[in-house]
Amino acid sequence: MIAHPQIVFGLLMGAVAALVSVIFWVIPNWSRQEIFFAVTVAPRFRDSSEAAHILRGYRVQALAHVAISFALILLGTLEQRALPLILGILWLVFGPLVAMARAHKKVLPHAVAHSTIREASLEPRSIQLPGGWLLQFGPLAMLAIVAIYLSLHWAQIPDKFPVHWGLSGKPNGWSVRTPRGVYGPLLFGGALVIGISVLAYSYSHLVRRVPVPAAPAMRDYPHRIAVLLLGVEYFIAAMFSLVGLLPLTGSPGAAPILILAGAILAAAFFLGRWVSHAQDNLPHAMGLAGDGTPDSCWKLGLFYFNPDDAALFVEKRIGFGYTINFARPGAWVILALTLLVPLGLAALTIFQRRP
Amino acid sequence: MVKPRILRIDLASERPVYEQIVSGLRAVLVAGEFAPGEQLPTVRQLAMDLGVHHNTVAESYRVLAEEGWLDLRRGRGATVLDRRGPKPNAGAKQGFIRRLEELAAKAIADGVPRAALAAHMAALAERLRKS
Repeated sequence: MIAHPQIVFGLLMGAVAALVSVIFWVIPNWSRQEIFFAVTVAPRFRDSSEAAHILRGYRVQALAHVAISFALILLGTLEQRALPLILGILWLVFGPLVAMARAHKKVLPHAVAHSTIREASLEPRSIQLPGGWLLQFGPLAMLAIVAIYLSLHWAQIPDKFPVHWGLSGKPNGWSVRTPRGVYGPLLFGGALVIGISVLAYSYSHLVRRVPVPAAPAMRDYPHRIAVLLLGVEYFIAAMFSLVGLLPLTGSPGAAPILILAGAILAAAFFLGRWVSHAQDNLPHAMGLAGDGTPDSCWKLGLFYFNPDDAALFVEKRIGFGYTINFARPGAWVILALTLLVPLGLAALTIFQRRP
Repeated sequence: MVKPRILRIDLASERPVYEQIVSGLRAVLVAGEFAPGEQLPTVRQLAMDLGVHHNTVAESYRVLAEEGWLDLRRGRGATVLDRRGPKPNAGAKQGFIRRLEELAAKAIADGVPRAALAAHMAALAERLRKS
């Protein structure tokens, strides 16, 4: 029995909404013990009834925002209307942020003075990306192998081939057998992989370093972030390799997509736990209150702006990983380059779907 | 196990940050923890790790270069020099003794036990003799 496409789509959207809800639910747990909604607090504050009240309020609001946004997205998609769709996506981005900003404001009166002590190692910095050069080049090699395979089977590629399918399973986007049409997705995947590699390399060079002998976790945490980024590179390479092979394979069917989605969820869950576990150890390792950045430099708890700090990247206060110091001009360059990726993806999608 | 070479500053201190960096690095260099020809972290790196502005660290390195501790040739970072001790200067010695006495008096006034202070100064004297 084949389910109605709209029901399948509704179920799929429900699953995505549930996943997004879980992410927003657990995000406050992904920061150091002494950072609560981006505010430096006493280590025991998280266990207080006041903290529990603020956390509960945030979660109720965040879940309400997710529910509203997905209702709008569902409406826009099923009715094929752009306004509810765009509104739903914007609501999903900004709604939970508003909930976070409100929680941040409520925590501010409970802020404690952060440590003013700073330590720096004078030892030479040794930088090692995980897996060495061989593993680092794996994603690009994967894309290159697919490109070679396509060139060897060029004659078997149809003049016009589908690259996008609708809810009913019928193709609704096409591309043609030209170097741009065939190799375009692989080149774009390669550009994404190189962009993430540059980001990983920048992190390894430009993240604040704390004397390691006193704080092994401070070395462990950046390493785990680097492993996570390498995992993302492999995922992107695998995804664009599959897309690159579409001219030869035709419709991939539902099974590979479901397997891929399951693998992404499982990997995201385990890698997320693995990285956030390293973060749990940070405050104990440093022995200093906070993360070494002043609360006053965090705008809405999300954006770091400190002209007196030479660091381009600092630890995020909400979620794990790093964010940029918006007061540094170099940070704006990185932001612009990061925005180029989704814009490029949008341009590629439009180009590929042209009949 | 080799003792890690660490620089520590306090942003809340009344002393300017660049002076704290100069003092901290000078203490490490006087103790002979860096051999001539070794490199200190770059200005960018140290500024990033301490969370201060580049110019603050650059100013500290300039002071140490003027004192003859560092070579700051462009493109080579900060290289530790083989600094021979300057000729004895009676004025500098008297000034140091006066400042040390003032510092000790302040520490005692702030509640540091005399015995602890004496022990620390003896340990410092011992390190100086060995270096």
